[in-house]
Formats: sequence, C-alpha cells, structure tokens
Amino acid sequence: MSTLFKANFYDGLTSKPKDALVGLREPGSLEVETDGERIHWPLEHPDMEWERSGSMLRITFGEHPRRVLIVREPVFIKSFVMRMQYAGRRGVYDRTLSVARRGPLLFFLALVLVLVGGYFWVLPFAAERMALLLPLEVDKQLGKASYGSIMLGLPEDTARSAVLQRFGDKLQLSEKFDLRFHLVESEQVNAFAMPGGDIVVFSGIVDGMEHPGQLAALLAHEATHVDERHSTRMMVRQMAGYLFLSLLLGDVNAVVALVAENADNLRNLSYSRGLETDADAHGMERMEAAGIDPHGMVQLLELLEKESADMPEEMAFLSSHPLTTHRIEQARRKAASTERTTKVDAELQRLFQELKTPSPSVNP
Amino acid sequence: MEMLTPRKRLSFTGNGGELFSVMIVNWLLTFITLGLYYPWAKARRLQYFYDHLELDGHPFHFRGTGREMFIGFIKAVVLFGVIYGAFFALTWMQEDWASLLAYLLLFSAIIALTPLVIHGTYRYRMGRSSWRGIHFGYRGDLKELYGICIRDGILTLVTFGIYGAWFQMNLRNYVVGHIRYGSSSFQYKGDGLDFFLMNLKGYLLTIFTFGIYSFWWQRDIFNYYVNNLSWQFPEGRRIQFNSSATGGGFFGLLVGNFFLVVFTLGIGLAWAHVRMMRYIMANVEMVGDADLDSVVQTEQEHASATADELGDIMDIGIFL
Repeated sequence: MSTLFKANFYDGLTSKPKDALVGLREPGSLEVETDGERIHWPLEHPDMEWERSGSMLRITFGEHPRRVLIVREPVFIKSFVMRMQYAGRRGVYDRTLSVARRGPLLFFLALVLVLVGGYFWVLPFAAERMALLLPLEVDKQLGKASYGSIMLGLPEDTARSAVLQRFGDKLQLSEKFDLRFHLVESEQVNAFAMPGGDIVVFSGIVDGMEHPGQLAALLAHEATHVDERHSTRMMVRQMAGYLFLSLLLGDVNAVVALVAENADNLRNLSYSRGLETDADAHGMERMEAAGIDPHGMVQLLELLEKESADMPEEMAFLSSHPLTTHRIEQARRKAASTERTTKVDAELQRLFQELKTPSPSVNP
Repeated sequence: MEMLTPRKRLSFTGNGGELFSVMIVNWLLTFITLGLYYPWAKARRLQYFYDHLELDGHPFHFRGTGREMFIGFIKAVVLFGVIYGAFFALTWMQEDWASLLAYLLLFSAIIALTPLVIHGTYRYRMGRSSWRGIHFGYRGDLKELYGICIRDGILTLVTFGIYGAWFQMNLRNYVVGHIRYGSSSFQYKGDGLDFFLMNLKGYLLTIFTFGIYSFWWQRDIFNYYVNNLSWQFPEGRRIQFNSSATGGGFFGLLVGNFFLVVFTLGIGLAWAHVRMMRYIMANVEMVGDADLDSVVQTEQEHASATADELGDIMDIGIFL
C-alpha cells in the first residue's frame, strides 16, 4: 500500500474545509479518505478535472456542485501529474509553459530574438511578395483616390501639361501603366509620382533645367516609382509592420507602443531611401532603353543639390530621401559604364524648349 | 464547533517570475495565432490571479475556460462587426443625414449595451468563481439595472456630469448588493454625496499640489470602496471589510510600478501586477462574528461569456 498525503477537501455542500488523505491506487483511481470514510475517484472519468498552479494541485470531481481537493505535497503532485500525463496528452500550452518556466528571462530573450529577426527579415520579404501579388488595379484605384485631393490646391498649367505629356510619351517609360503627366505652377523644386500613373512636376524644377536630358531623367525616375509600384509596396510594408507591432504589443503599455511605432517609422524611412536610389538606378536604365544619355540623371541630381539644402550628414538617417551627394556619386558610377553621347532627339529638344516658355495664361 | 477567528486575512501568493512566464506564453500564443488565442490567454491570466488569491489560507478558484470565452469572444466580435459595419456603410454614403444616423446608431448601441455588459460580466465571472467549493453568483435583474442606468444616465447628462458620483454609487450598491456567495451575500453602502465631496476634494487638492495629492486621492477612493463593503450571513451575522491603505503606501506602490514598467520597457509589468495585488490584499482586513464555515451551496454555474468579451471590446473596466 502506497503512502497517503495530506489534502484539503471541500464537499461542495458547505464551505467547511475538511482534512483529507489522498493517494493513487492502481488501476487508475484516486483514494480520498475523509471523516473516516474512504471514497475512490476514477482517474479517467470525464467528470474528473485537475490543474496545477504553482505549488498547488487542484482536483475536482462530479457534477455541480463539484467536490474539490487541494493538495500541496510536492511528492504527490509529481506522481499524480506524471500519472495523468502518461494517460493523456499534454497541450501546447503546458509544454510551452514548462519550457518558459525553466528560465523565464532566457525564454523571453530567445523569443525577442526570433521576433526581431521576423520583423527585420521575414516580414519585409513577405510584405514585398504580398504587394506584388496585388492586381495593378489596386495601384490605379489608390492613385485615383488620392490624386483628386492632392491636386485640389495645386494650379495645373494644362497647356504645358500637354507638352509634358508628349515629351513623356515619346520616352515610353512604363509598360504596365498609362502615365499621365501634370505640370503645376509652383516655385518648388520638386516632383512626385502617384501610384497608377499620375506624375506631377512643379514648374520650379523645370525652370532650373538646362537641357532635355535632365527632364528625361526626372520623368524616368518618377516613372520607376510608378512602374515598380513603390507606393503600394511601401503601403503594404507599413501595414504589415503596424499589424505586427499591434499584435505584439496589444497588451503592453503606451510608452513601449510609442517607442516601437517610432522605430517602425525609422525603418520605413530607410526603406524609402532605398526606393529613391532604386528609382535613380532603374530610371537610368529606362533612359538608356529610350535612347537617352543616362548622364542626364547626374545633371538632374546636381541641379537638385544646387537648389535644395540637404540635411546635415549626421541626420541622414531621418530623411526619406538619401543625401543628394550620395545619389550623384552612385549615378556617376552607373553612367560611367555607358558611352557619353551628345546626340539629343530633335523632337525632345523642341518640346523641352516649348515647355520652358511659360504659357500666357494659367488655369488655376 | 470550530472557534471563530475575528480577523480573516486576504493574501496574494503569486510571484512576478511565475506570472511573467504565464504572460509571455500567453503573449507568444496570442501573437502566433493572430489574436485568436486571446480568450484562452485571458482565462489563464484570470486563473493565475484567482489561484494565488487566498482567504484564510484557502485559494479562490476560477473555472472559466478559454473555450467558453472563445465562444463569447466570437459572438461579441460578430455583434460589434455588425454595428461597425452599419456605421461604416452609413458614413460611406457621404450624406449628412446618413452620417448623423451613423453616429447616433453607434452611440446608442454602445449606451444600450453597457448595462448588458455589466450584468452579463458579473453573471459569468461570479458564476465561474468559487471558494472552498462554494460558488459565487450574481442575482441582479437586468431590467432593474437598465432602470438605474437610464435614470442616472439622464440625470448625469443634465447635471453636466455632477450626478456621475451618485450614478457610480447607485450602480455599485446595486451590483455588489446582488453578489452571493452560497447562502451568504454582499452589501455595499456607498453614498453619492460623500463620494462626490471626496472626489471634489481630491480633484482640487491634486491641482493645488501639482499632482502630489493624487496618491492620497487614490487612497480615499480605495478606502471608500473597501470600507463600505460587508459580507452578510444569515441571522444578522456579518463580516466588515476595512482598509489600512495609506497615501504614502499608494505613492510607493504607484511610483515604483511606473518605474518598474517604463525602465524595463514593459517587461516589469508582471512584477508590477504582483506588487499591486500584494499591496491591496495586505491592506484589506475582514472583521466580524460570522462563521466562514457555515455557508451552504446555493448558486448555479453560468457559462456564457459573451458579455465579458463584449466588455473587453468596448473597454469597460467594471470589475472590482
């Protein structure tokens, strides 16, 4: 006969606790001795429930009101749990918890490493694949939705837009999208592309240009953003990052959430700088394909450098665009591999000149 | 017959390391399952707190399961999906009357659901809680609760929130007054005016002392909740709850917890929870002539967790 262990017994009828003695009996029953009475609870019975919490084991039995046993004897708990786990399967939860309890902090650190790895490598990869699976229609709809509100306050010069359109069409910059070029009357030295094909160029940047190669470079750069779906990719990445973080930090305090969100923005900025460099490089390939000298990109970037004050180099990590000097260097290196030609298409030259002369009236 | 000890003690026996293990596993599984594990995680967390909460050396027991909470969770998500769906469909129409209707619908749905959430949460939590094998229960009536909420809600609105103190006390008196533990029951005797004046004093002093008084205000609220609570037994016997919490104690607790959480980037959350529970339980004292052994089982189990989950979605923190 095996040993009996001390336990607390509650009969489910009154709140009076009773002292009890418990022991395991083969085959498969729990012996409970209380008030001089001896009861046997079958271990495999569906009405038998048990759970271990810290140094305590709770066994309940029967239908409501259930009888409850609480045992705090480590030796009994160990043999009982072993007996029950031998009979039944351990859940994912218990297995994970027992690993976690062996070294909570170590477990936590390992977890953090895995999650950080997932966040920096697996997540961007998956988001990128996901974005490219989206139909082109998504880009078009996204562009349409934002185009109206962005152009609302910008005075478009429709006559010069038409000239720009002819210039752009001649370059054949995108296979996937119909590019629509817009010229906006503004001092700003800037241009941007919307997903789906709308490319907006400010007159300020055109005014500073000296020859059509620079304009071709600008359009090729923006067309790369459109054609390679940079906005959509960026959006999917941001959404994936946000989803990941909010799932991860669902229950954690606001301070951590804030830190994480800002870190996420930094990461997206670095991605955004990557996209700009990408648009430079692929834009030059597009120029070459259209028979334009890719050195135009170098000259365009030199113009940008002259016109705009860059952030100090130490702050470069906070910028959505890479430093212009870095871009110029990279563009030079790439252009060096191609023959420098001075030949410029006469038609492009004519359109460029037409564009440089401001139209008499501006449609707001 | 067993001799009565006049002072019963509550204690919290959990420790930060253990709770931390429970929390990271919950966190991991919830993350891996894209949030679907949430109800099970919640059940585990509640079970941990109940199992380590002892009265007179005997632990409480929460028998709620992740499964039944999951069913409630799905129902709550569907219900909220329908409400939000209707809200967005109406705002999508971009008509003035439609967006007005949308907001009206959303606010009235939230207001109408709140008493239901309180009622259902107490029914579920109490129905699943027990101590020494005897179940707790909630016997409040939903219609009466709606009555209180509608009447006091309107009064709170027309008094620009001032009546809110009375509303809170009426609600607490009603809800706590309908909690049962087997053949015994609970009573809360809060007074709107006292509660209002106490909060007014706390609010003003907190402003004048640039926030320093907030810890003493916190103590006042806590003491008001505890000192007005009693446990009623047959034949007029009772156990009175008394708080020995101090402003200095709350200061140490809350400031300590703040640093514990912020400087560990959240890792210290488990230890902060434990400190909080230990402090509260160490400062609640129970004095009385009732025999804790004399309670007879009377309450049934209640297994629908929908309201509990709905309360989580709506972020109603009503639980004492």
